[in-house]
Amino acid sequence: MDKLKKAPKVWAVVVFLILFSVAVTWKMNNYTVLVVNMALINMITAYGLSIMLGMCGQLVFSGVAFMGIGAYITANLCSGRLGFYLPGYAAVFVSVALTGLIAWVAGVLFLRLKNSFCTFATLGFVQVLYVLFLNYEPAFGGPKGIPEIRTLSVGGFVFDSYKKWYFLLLGVVLLIAFLVERIRRTNLGRSLASIRDNEIAAQSLGVNIYRTRVIAFVIAGAFAGLSGSLLAQHNRFISGDQFSFAKSTTIVIMSMLGGINSTPGIFVGALIVTFLPEVLRGLDKYLMLIYGFAVIIMMIFMPMGIGGAVADFLKNMRRKHKIKS
Amino acid sequence: MGEAILRLEGVCKSFGGVVTAKNVDLKVMPGEIHGLIGPNGAGKSTMMNLISGIYEVDEGKIYFQGEDITGIPSHMRARKGIGRTFQTPRFLYRSNIRDNLMLGVDLQDQLGYFKSFIGKKGSDFLKELDGLMELAGFEIDWDEDITAIPFGQRKILEIVRSMLGHPKVMLVDEPAAGLTTQEIGQARDLLMFAAKKRNIGILLIEHQMDLVMSTCENIDVLVFGEILARGLPQEIAVNPIVLEAYLGRDFDD
Repeated sequence: MDKLKKAPKVWAVVVFLILFSVAVTWKMNNYTVLVVNMALINMITAYGLSIMLGMCGQLVFSGVAFMGIGAYITANLCSGRLGFYLPGYAAVFVSVALTGLIAWVAGVLFLRLKNSFCTFATLGFVQVLYVLFLNYEPAFGGPKGIPEIRTLSVGGFVFDSYKKWYFLLLGVVLLIAFLVERIRRTNLGRSLASIRDNEIAAQSLGVNIYRTRVIAFVIAGAFAGLSGSLLAQHNRFISGDQFSFAKSTTIVIMSMLGGINSTPGIFVGALIVTFLPEVLRGLDKYLMLIYGFAVIIMMIFMPMGIGGAVADFLKNMRRKHKIKS
Repeated sequence: MGEAILRLEGVCKSFGGVVTAKNVDLKVMPGEIHGLIGPNGAGKSTMMNLISGIYEVDEGKIYFQGEDITGIPSHMRARKGIGRTFQTPRFLYRSNIRDNLMLGVDLQDQLGYFKSFIGKKGSDFLKELDGLMELAGFEIDWDEDITAIPFGQRKILEIVRSMLGHPKVMLVDEPAAGLTTQEIGQARDLLMFAAKKRNIGILLIEHQMDLVMSTCENIDVLVFGEILARGLPQEIAVNPIVLEAYLGRDFDD
C-alpha cells in the first residue's frame, strides 16, 4: 500500500528528469550546460546541509569549507603538483574519505556547541579555511589557485564535454538524493528528527545526541568533499575565492528556497539560485538586493521552501479527500 | 519479595538554594505500579528527571537491576530499559505519527545506524502495536501529523511509544492530566497491562486520586523533596501527615 501511494510522486520526478535531460542534450548551449553542471555540483553540498539543517535542525556553514578541502585534495592529486597523477576516480575516493575524516575531527569539536554557537563556530571555520586557501602556496597554490587539473576519465572514457559531465553529475546527484531519502526513512533520520524537535524526548528514547550529530556532520562533510572533488575535475581549475563565505550563503539559500527537508525541493532550489544571476544578468548591480528580498519574502510566506509548500499542499489535498470519502 | 528493579538510595538534589530531593530512598519492584504523589512543587518530576538522567544527582545512588547507574548518561539509561513519558507529551512535532512511534521501536531494536541503513530489519512490532492500540481504544492514521490528534490521544500514544521500547521500568508523569474520563480509563488499561502482563515496574506520578488508588500497590508521598509517608493506598488515604500536606492544617491545632 505504502509504495502505491508514493508512486505518482516518483513518476513525476522521473518524467521531470527525462524532460530536463532532453532539454540539456538538445536545446542548451555549452554555457548553459555549464551552469546546470555547477548547480548539480552545488546541490551535492546542499544535500549535505539538508541533513544537518533539515533533519537535525542545526544550521552549519561549513559545507563550502569541506567542498574546498575535497577540491584541493583532488587538485593536488590530479594536477601533477606533487610529481604524480592519481586516476580521477581514485582521487574522488581519497577526497571523500579524507574530507570525511577531517569533518569528523571538526565535528567532534564543533558539535559540543549547541545551536547558534555551533553555527558561529562553523562560520569561523569557513573564514579560516578561506584565508588558508587564498594564501598558503605549498598546499593550495595561493592566490593563483591550482590550474591544469586533469579531467575525469574512467577506463578510457574521458569526460571531456560539459554534456558528458552533465549525465555523470546527474547520476551522482540521484545517488546522493537516494542516500538522503534512505537516511530519512531509517533510524538515523528519526534520531536526527528527534534531536531537532525535542532533545529530552530523544534522550529518553535512547538517542545519543552528540554522537548522532557528529555522524550527520561527517556525512554532510563527505558529501561536500565529493562535490568539491567533482568541481575540481570539472572546472580543471580551482582557487580560494570559490570557497568564500558568500558561497556558503548561496548554498544555504539554495536549501532554504528549495525546502530544507525536501529532496526534490533542493534540486529545484539549487537550479533556481544558480540560474538567477544568469537570467538577471542585466540587473547585476541589484542582484544581492533581489536575493535578499526574495529570501525575506520566502521566509514569511513559505518557511519550509518550495518543497515544503508543495508537501503541505499535497497533505491538505489528502485530508480533504479523506473527509469526502 | 524479589529484588527491586529500581532503587534509589539517599538521593539529594538542589538547585541553588531550592532543595528538590532530600535523602530520598525509593524502591520499585518488577510488575508493580508504584505511586509517587505530593503537592505541586514537591519535586516529583525532578525525581523522574534524576532517574532518567536528565539531571545529575548531587548525592546518593540510583540502582537499576542491581547495577549502579548513577553516573551513566541519559540515553544509556533508556537503552538499558528505563522508559518514560512526560507531563506534556514530547513528540516530534514536524514528523508524522509513524515516525514518532518508530522511535520506540528503534529503541527496542537498538540496531545501530549503519545496520539499519543497509536494510537490516528490526523486530516485527506490528502485532504488538495492534495489541497496544486495542487497549488504547482508538484508531489513528499513521501518515497524519502528530499535531492533528487530540491532546489526550497524544498522551496515550506516548505510553504506547514508551512500551514499544520494551522498558523494564517506566516513569509515567501525570498520565491523567488533561484527559477525559474515558481516556483515563484507557490509560489505566495500558498501565495495568504493562505492569501485570509485561512485568514492567511503573513509577507513577499522578494527582488524579481515583487512578492512583485503583492502580497503585504502594504509594510514596513526596513533600518538599522529602518522602513523608509510605504505604498501601488505603493507609495513605487516611494518613494525617498526608492530609496535612495536601489540605493544610487548622489554625487552632
